[in-house]
Amino acid sequence: MKKTQTKAFANLVASVILLVFEIWAYVQTLGFKVVKKAAVQPATFPQVMCIGMMVFTIILLVQSLISLKKMDPDDPNIQPAASINVLKNKGVQAGLFVIVLCVLYVALFKTLGYVLASAIVAAIIMWLIGKRDVRQILLVSVLVPLAMWLVFYKLLTVNIPMGILEPLKDLIDMI
Amino acid sequence: MNWSLLFQSYGSVFLDPQVLLMTLLGAAGGVLLGAIPGMTATMGVALLIPFSFGMDLIPSIGLLLGIYCGGMYGGSISAILIHAPGTPAAAATLLDGYPMCQKGQAGKALSIAMFSSFCGGIIGALVMTFLSPLVANVAMKFTSAEMLMLAVFGLSVIVAISGQSIAKGLISAFFGMLLCTVGLDPTYSAKRFTFGVKPLYSGLQFIPVLIGLFAVSEIIAGAERIINGEEKQESSNEKIKEVLPDLKTISQIWPQIISGGLIGTFIGAIPGAGGDIAVFVSYGFNKSFSKHPEKWGTGIPQGVASTESANNGCSGGAMIPLLSLGVPGDAVTAIILGAFIMKGIQPGPTMYVDKLDTVYCVFAALMLANLAMLIVGCCGVRFFAKIVSVEKKILYPIILVISLLGAFSINKNVFDVGVCVVFGIVGWLMNKFEFPLSPILLALILGPMCEQNFVRFMDLNNGNFGAILGRPIAIGFFVVAVAVVLFSIWNQQKINKREAEARKAAAQKPAE
Repeated sequence: MKKTQTKAFANLVASVILLVFEIWAYVQTLGFKVVKKAAVQPATFPQVMCIGMMVFTIILLVQSLISLKKMDPDDPNIQPAASINVLKNKGVQAGLFVIVLCVLYVALFKTLGYVLASAIVAAIIMWLIGKRDVRQILLVSVLVPLAMWLVFYKLLTVNIPMGILEPLKDLIDMI
Repeated sequence: MNWSLLFQSYGSVFLDPQVLLMTLLGAAGGVLLGAIPGMTATMGVALLIPFSFGMDLIPSIGLLLGIYCGGMYGGSISAILIHAPGTPAAAATLLDGYPMCQKGQAGKALSIAMFSSFCGGIIGALVMTFLSPLVANVAMKFTSAEMLMLAVFGLSVIVAISGQSIAKGLISAFFGMLLCTVGLDPTYSAKRFTFGVKPLYSGLQFIPVLIGLFAVSEIIAGAERIINGEEKQESSNEKIKEVLPDLKTISQIWPQIISGGLIGTFIGAIPGAGGDIAVFVSYGFNKSFSKHPEKWGTGIPQGVASTESANNGCSGGAMIPLLSLGVPGDAVTAIILGAFIMKGIQPGPTMYVDKLDTVYCVFAALMLANLAMLIVGCCGVRFFAKIVSVEKKILYPIILVISLLGAFSINKNVFDVGVCVVFGIVGWLMNKFEFPLSPILLALILGPMCEQNFVRFMDLNNGNFGAILGRPIAIGFFVVAVAVVLFSIWNQQKINKREAEARKAAAQKPAE
């Protein structure tokens, strides 16, 4: 196994990414308001957290470097890293597609409304992950969000955006 | 203690058909609401309190306590079955509950959760009945110093729930604590990490983050596994002969039930601390003192029992300061306090003198609420366990749309749905890089408590942290926290050593 495919290498990459994030977060805290005569400044707690994160990230980085250095590529005990290769791994592609759908869902939540947005997203995901029974897809993806909306709207009196299906509320209220 | 009045009050509660019906309805509603990710017991009580307006005090308290206890158990159903804790108090149940479900033991996990919840609730109710003035006195001695050290003690559990890499667990925990600082600073209202986004001023809401980290990330990973052909379809072939755990299982889990129930009751009695903290403390405590800590997190009954008894133990604990001091222990008891006041009763020390019969009736109602939760749970176990046999290709999208609705319903805010999705992505990436997610949760729960009490303590003592040495309870918590950390590190090293040996042995076997 190549060293770049091991868990130790994944940890190394994660440590570097985290260190960049932690430095960025720490720099942000320097811009927080300073309160005169305050025993603890608003920036103190986040700064301590950033430093704590940095300390353990550096420990992880050193651990990864040591295990990479000691590593025998032929050792059968080497733990492989999980794949995040978007180009080669179809599963990762599917995961990313679900993420894109979730982002679109948030963007269209108010316009389309909960029921319609949920029905579309649920139906696409079902198809994406291999469900091919169109009747079942349509039934489940429409009925579940509709039932949930009814429970929240009528029983729990939580008002959920219905977007273009807003007239449905009047219809239910009439019944 | 006035025994004859106590028995009389228990009799009047247990023999009143209206109280019985209301408590049962409350428990059923609580279990169903708690099982929906995002719907907490607090929300259930708040939503259903209008139904109690027209009732007498005890039936209405029975209804509210039924929802409270039912909601506490209900949260574990979705944690066990779909890796999405229904309530924050069930967040630690998924650590062992979900792996049990993956092993085809969903029914067993559910029945253990139900039985442990019931026992924890009874322990809480018993402690409340016999020791409430005493526990309340200790709990009310808590100032910012004790609360700070209680938070530190809670955080010490992180090492125990970090898994293989303690460094990764601590990075997750510090990340969680950093997330708590997003929004306006609680003392001086200074903007922190808000980037001009107004919804961020009130900070990141716990429930959307919880749903994102556990439910949404699981759905993304599930889609990935299905496409790669790695997804295993759990079936409901598990035969559930008895809805309650058998004697063998009970003999395995009783120490965790008792310790969890007591930990839950004590933490519940501290105003501001509730089931969400108690479950992690109980889990960490029981794991640390287990003979086989390496088995925790792999799907063992003890893990489920330790957390579920703790969160229901809290229900009794939280009632202690409410009844004896008029101070609510958590959000639900704050609402229950409102119900008392609406009926013209002011809980507090005088209640034990003027309205002792009402106090005893409340004790009995809590006992009844736990019994009602057990009955509802027994009726539902077989049905709930069937959920896992729903085809994953259908189940995942359903969980997604229900979870996102749960995230929305907290503040009726689309921004929270966005937060939920963002943390779904974060959780998915963290799982890929094998960073544990539970420490983030614990940090999100304890972070604000830690910071607020630290700032308050430092302000009160003019920046002199050494003043904490004059607070014996706080020092006691700190010493226990250090002991838990050291013990957990030692335990984890033992686990890692055993696992390395097992891997080595497994690698040598095919070679032979």
